[in-house]
Amino acid sequence: MITFQNVTKSYKGSTVALRDCSIEIDKGEFVFLVGPSGSGKTTFIRLLLREEIPNSGRIWEAGKEIGHLSKWRIPYLRRNIGCVFQDFRLLPNRTVFENVAFALEVIGRPKHVIASQVPQVLDLVGLTKKSGNLPGELSGGEQQRVAVARAFVNRPLILLADEPTGNLDPTTSLGIMRLLDRINRTGTTVVVATHDAGMVDQMRRRVIELDHGAIVRDQARGVYGLDSAVAAAGAGSPIDTMVETATAPVAKTGAPAPIPGFADSADRLGRRDVES
Amino acid sequence: MPVSAGYVAREATTNLWRNRLMTAAAVLTVAVSLALVGSALLLKQGATNATVHWQHGVNVAVWVNGDASPAQYHAIGAELTQNPLVKSCIARSQAYDYNEAKQTVAADEFNATQQSDYPSSYRCVLENPSDATAVVQQFTGKPGIFGTPSSPTAQIRTMESVIHILQWVFLSVAVVLLLSASVLILNTIRMAIFARRREVSVMKLVGATNWFIRLPFMAEGLIQGLLGSAVAVLVVLGLYWGIGLDTTKTVANQGNLIAQMSMGPWEVAATCILVGVVGIGVGVAGSALAVRRFLDV
Repeated sequence: MITFQNVTKSYKGSTVALRDCSIEIDKGEFVFLVGPSGSGKTTFIRLLLREEIPNSGRIWEAGKEIGHLSKWRIPYLRRNIGCVFQDFRLLPNRTVFENVAFALEVIGRPKHVIASQVPQVLDLVGLTKKSGNLPGELSGGEQQRVAVARAFVNRPLILLADEPTGNLDPTTSLGIMRLLDRINRTGTTVVVATHDAGMVDQMRRRVIELDHGAIVRDQARGVYGLDSAVAAAGAGSPIDTMVETATAPVAKTGAPAPIPGFADSADRLGRRDVES
Repeated sequence: MPVSAGYVAREATTNLWRNRLMTAAAVLTVAVSLALVGSALLLKQGATNATVHWQHGVNVAVWVNGDASPAQYHAIGAELTQNPLVKSCIARSQAYDYNEAKQTVAADEFNATQQSDYPSSYRCVLENPSDATAVVQQFTGKPGIFGTPSSPTAQIRTMESVIHILQWVFLSVAVVLLLSASVLILNTIRMAIFARRREVSVMKLVGATNWFIRLPFMAEGLIQGLLGSAVAVLVVLGLYWGIGLDTTKTVANQGNLIAQMSMGPWEVAATCILVGVVGIGVGVAGSALAVRRFLDV
């Protein structure tokens, strides 16, 4: 579904955001992109959205090489990609329904399609009752659910999320992750760039770690970082049972086995990360 | 993907309404500048028409004293027709000149005169209208001739140069105003783009085509240009009917300058169409520039 082949991206002033990255993400995978600020996660997402062009290397997305995509075809590429951001990016003067419907309107979907698909997806994210509210009347978690609904309403092949829980508390973050997991189970490839160690550790999905633009780790059923690796190994998180039923990606490297009794510290680590 | 006209119109009008003060300024500037362009074009057309009138009409009028004898009167006529510079002459009676004066001379001045005060005259067409001055000189001071023969040529020249200058003044002021109108439209669109930057970024994110994003802004400029030119067309039509350039009205006041400048409905329609096209052009150019410069799609 997504292939990076020796991709290097540097910005003006010779800042190298990604350095010779090669990676393959299969259809239906759920991937966490982790790493400290400035490690290249956002550049990774922007390259996938074709907001940036790599300096060298090639990127395939849904079978197409997107590096040489002509400008007028970019919108058609983006219709296959849903995207969620830390700051929600909702339109404040439109209701929840209108915000979600907007994604279908601007790609010219007929009204009857909008009338049937928007309520479906609002039901999926659990906001049917709030469909007439303005974003300002919703909590952060609810706003992010609207953003997820908007990203998913067009049934994209890929869903990208750049720090989707960055502005949310751990409990709310859990809800969003649960939602992304549910979307993943419909067959949509999900890529989440995050700092949320607790979430990564609980979900136990494929983790790609970036550091100074280089891929330093690619681990199936991985955890956030080395220090949390031991801690997060503790099982029993609320999301864990759900994750078990999800499509498990092919293991790239061995995943650490869960160690019982460390759930508390995993939770603590997660919170610390959110607060910092 | 085809962009629905309804969507473009709805978005454009909503934006215009949100930004109505700037819109009004842009529309008024377009209107004033295009009204000037329209007036200059009318003036030019009128001057062309008047010149045609004058050049096919009388070049020199020789006035014969009211008390001149019939022999003198005929001698002057014979001398005029034999002059190589003169093509043909028509003899006009005192009564004709009196009636003509009734239309061309101010009423209070005219009422103080009688028919016997008027000379009879010869109205001559020359082989070449530019010889008028020479003919005037030849006949000035001859016996039986009243005053100096008059030649409208000199007046025509003065009139033409005045109109010419006026027309250029109008056009250059109009060009400056049109430029500022484009800049105003550009600025209105720029503000609209800024006001809607969130929507635009979301549109890009969910895969709206570039033209889908651009068209409402372009339409906004187009509407401003159209509104401005509509006002300007009204001004041009007001001038046309208001000061009597309309050919259907000119029978009553034959002989005055405006009557000679009069034109048919097609000529004024062409002016209006041109004003409309320039207005649309200014609107589209201003918004296209703004979209190109400030809308990052």
